[in-house]
Amino acid sequence: MLIQTTQLEKKVQTSSGILHILQRIDLQITAGETVAIVGASGSGKSTLLSLLAGLDLASAGDVLIDNVKLSNLDEEQRAKLRADKIGFIFQSFLLIPSLTALENVMLPAELAGNRKAEQQARTLLQDVGLGERLTHYPNQLSGGEQQRVAIARAFVGTPKILFADEPTGNLDATTGHTIEDLLFEMNESSGTTLVMVTHNEQLADRCQRIFKMDAGSLTEVQKDVA
Amino acid sequence: MWHKISWRLLRQELKRGELTIMAAAIVLSVTAVLSLSIFTERLQSGLMERSAEFLAADRVLSSRRTVDEAWLEKAHELNLNTARRVVFNSMAFAGDELALVDIKAVSSGYPLRGDLKTADQPYAEDQVTEGLPESGEAWVASALFQELNLKVGDTIDIGNSNFLVTRVLTYEPDVGFSVFTDSPNVLIRYADLDDTGLIQPGSRVRYHVLYAGAEEQLSEYESWLQPQLNEDTHNWRSIADGDAPLARSLRRAERFMMLASLLGVVLAATAVAVAAQRYCQRNYDVVAIFKTLGAGKRQIQRIFILHLLLLTVISIAIGLLLGWFIQAQVVNLVAERLGATLPQAGLTPYLLASATGFISAVMFTLYPLLRLVAIPPLRVLNRELTAANRLRWLHWVACGGTIYVLLLIYSQQWLLSTALFAGGALAAALLLVIGRLFIGASRRAGMQAGSAWRLAMAGLQRRAQANSVQMLSFSTAIMLLLLVLALRSELLEDWQRQLPDDAPNYFVVNVAEDDVQRLEQRLAERDIKANDMYPVVPGRMTAVNGVQVVDEVSKESKEDEGTDTKSDEVREGFGRELALTWRDELPPNNKILAGEWWGDNPAPQVSVEQGVAERMRLEIGDVLQFNIGGNEFEVPVTSIREVNWASIQPNFFMIFNTATLQDFPATYISSFTLEPERKSELYDLFKPFPQVSLIDLDALTDQLREVISQVSLAIGFVLILVLIAGVLVLLAQVQASMEERQQELVILRTLGAPAKLLSRSVTYEFLILGAISGLIATLAMELALWILQTQVFEMDASLHWRFWLVGPLAGALVVGIMGRLACGRLVRRNTAQLIRTLG
Repeated sequence: MLIQTTQLEKKVQTSSGILHILQRIDLQITAGETVAIVGASGSGKSTLLSLLAGLDLASAGDVLIDNVKLSNLDEEQRAKLRADKIGFIFQSFLLIPSLTALENVMLPAELAGNRKAEQQARTLLQDVGLGERLTHYPNQLSGGEQQRVAIARAFVGTPKILFADEPTGNLDATTGHTIEDLLFEMNESSGTTLVMVTHNEQLADRCQRIFKMDAGSLTEVQKDVA
Repeated sequence: MWHKISWRLLRQELKRGELTIMAAAIVLSVTAVLSLSIFTERLQSGLMERSAEFLAADRVLSSRRTVDEAWLEKAHELNLNTARRVVFNSMAFAGDELALVDIKAVSSGYPLRGDLKTADQPYAEDQVTEGLPESGEAWVASALFQELNLKVGDTIDIGNSNFLVTRVLTYEPDVGFSVFTDSPNVLIRYADLDDTGLIQPGSRVRYHVLYAGAEEQLSEYESWLQPQLNEDTHNWRSIADGDAPLARSLRRAERFMMLASLLGVVLAATAVAVAAQRYCQRNYDVVAIFKTLGAGKRQIQRIFILHLLLLTVISIAIGLLLGWFIQAQVVNLVAERLGATLPQAGLTPYLLASATGFISAVMFTLYPLLRLVAIPPLRVLNRELTAANRLRWLHWVACGGTIYVLLLIYSQQWLLSTALFAGGALAAALLLVIGRLFIGASRRAGMQAGSAWRLAMAGLQRRAQANSVQMLSFSTAIMLLLLVLALRSELLEDWQRQLPDDAPNYFVVNVAEDDVQRLEQRLAERDIKANDMYPVVPGRMTAVNGVQVVDEVSKESKEDEGTDTKSDEVREGFGRELALTWRDELPPNNKILAGEWWGDNPAPQVSVEQGVAERMRLEIGDVLQFNIGGNEFEVPVTSIREVNWASIQPNFFMIFNTATLQDFPATYISSFTLEPERKSELYDLFKPFPQVSLIDLDALTDQLREVISQVSLAIGFVLILVLIAGVLVLLAQVQASMEERQQELVILRTLGAPAKLLSRSVTYEFLILGAISGLIATLAMELALWILQTQVFEMDASLHWRFWLVGPLAGALVVGIMGRLACGRLVRRNTAQLIRTLG
């Protein structure tokens, strides 16, 4: 099992008492699977994603990534785990504005100490169709192009897991489709496990498994095989 | 690998101008400190050198007895130059004529500072002259040519020797300015002194040793010498010791430059602080992304510390270059305008400037950087997340401590630094409170205004917390600027008063009562305007409250006998005749400190100069006894006066009311102004008045003017630097606050608010902020100025009404324009672009 949660909970203290954002979530994802988590705004999808990626800590329960219990790791070790095993794609792209496309893609590989970062980044940018835009800054690229850079960046460290948070949420339909295709193509060719949070049912449908988040509870939706 | 990332971030951010304000702030702090300290150091040593000319040396040891040769040898060991100077009065004879002269016997090397000037003929154009009269020769002042009916090439007899008069002595740097005690000067060789036979035990002779050399050696010599000096016999002087004509002006200029530089440093440091805060805030997202992508805390620390260090080092290097360049330009300008070269500065300013840049950058960034590194990775999903604000006190301690340390390093005076710092902290707290009150009041006032105004007021109120901090930096910047500006004009006016353009350049002394009218008429005929004639009666002060004062000579002889002369009852007299005068009105530049001026009261009374009163422990009501030509009389002290010795006019220790003195025979003195090109008329003019002595002040006033214009120029330069520092603070603050407003602007813009409304409301908001800051700044400036003028600069305090208008207006204008420009850039971009910048 690549990703596993047991009785995962997230609570926050608010002025009107304790708010349960996630309630006793059990989830198992095996390597190579593509998983979509759908649900209404505020249902807790992104919180689950942040706990799975070790960006935040659970109030109770465990997250195991590749059999490593995240609650046993300190912040430094969780960062190392992300550097080694996890890639990210965000709705708002989250590129570093002062770095070029190439430098943005190189960044995770360099942080992980990979000496071939530049070479790998160039290849990936070629793969996403931005071979001619290496030295462009994010604000010189369209939304779709920025998301391609983000996809290239996500794959540069050959991660085992790719977390995507509404990857097409900021894009128009046509560009969105192109990005979806690119994402699934690259995911397939690299054999990465994809965990995606989305509103987009059509996008969710392209995943092998779909989970629905509702008021902090997660249930798997049986896909219509027909 | 992390250093590559760090360097790349830096390079790209520099290229894209994202670090401009931070870099500019560091560059400016380094530039300001470097150019100010180099320039101040060079100017100060230049001024010291110029002023040293008034002593003809860097230090002078005066003694009542001849100075031990061993003391000179010690000076030579320390590589100091020395010269001996012996001064005394004697009679000079030429044929049947005789005159009382001041004889100055000097050894080779004299003057160690400044130049002698001589001419071929009396009152002729003079030139700088190297060397001294040869043995057996004398150089003689123009007046003596008149008195003794001399020509160049004649001989004069002094004591047992006769001297060939080879040149006309027109200027000695150390001649000082005293119209009464100086008879015409005769300059001879020290080696010729013994042969005159004039130096006998008990002769009233002053022995001087002049010293010149490097400050360090001078200090070493001074500490070696001081313990061996006898307070009654010796007097050790430097130009800073107060009685030099320039000392007061110089001290003030020095304090002003120090203060202005300190304020400049504080401003530059504030700019760094504001920019550092913003620098870190801008990087919140970057750090969150880094962490999400797997960067550890330590990695991020390294990346950003190196980033900051690189930025600091580059900025310091640019600042050093720029600072050096600017001061070189200013020094050139000074040299060009004033024909003076300034000595080179040492390494200290470079170290000081680098340290300032480094300390400000590191210390002001410390806390923002700690928060930056602590940014949680979860911020990538929740943009509102920032690091906990737990160690905020650390920020205030770091910032306050840094400013204090910078003040201390720069001024090397802990009292001044502490006073400035404590005052500043108090003012800051007050400004915060007043700012909040003002914002509240303007909100109420704005409710009735039009839509852009209402929006502006609402904005002000909503951001009250942030705005009062902003207002603090606006007010501080404006206040410091106004302060430097006001102080500058105060100082310049003060100097101008001291040395007006129409200051007299000649004094006539020893005018007989019968000649007064004739001389006045003769001057009037030639269209030369003479000032008041002052009567002068020579007299001795012999007793205080019936107890005889002790004369110098008798005191010395008592001392030789081992008698203790320091009992309270014994007062030391002047040891010479004083120039006494009478007058109905208090002379200009005099101020009554105690007692009252007599007005029409005919009862005998005298007004005593403050310094004399202190030295002789005289008080109002003490009865002084004077002896004038054998007539003794007593007179009570009815007032004590402060005299501005730096002013060019006759000044008197003792002034009597007319009834007391007018029956004694008097001679008169006066002063007049004559253009240098008419100098040749003097000989003819004064030929009918052989006993009248003429004192030429041109050289002295020229020197004073030159020094004052150098200082004025320096002050102008300091002002410009402080101005730039101030504008930078304002700019950094406007930029920072614009970022806070960005989100709101984007929302309003998206909702369809016209660009005009937005930029107007932002402009109004900044206008109000600027105006309030300007007003508070003026208030604070007046307070600070009052303290500075009365406590530091020994000046009279005054209110500066024009600044009450200038402060708020300039504040509103500058801050408003900056806000408008910054906002203009924002609203020009299309809404989609704006939304994208917000992510």
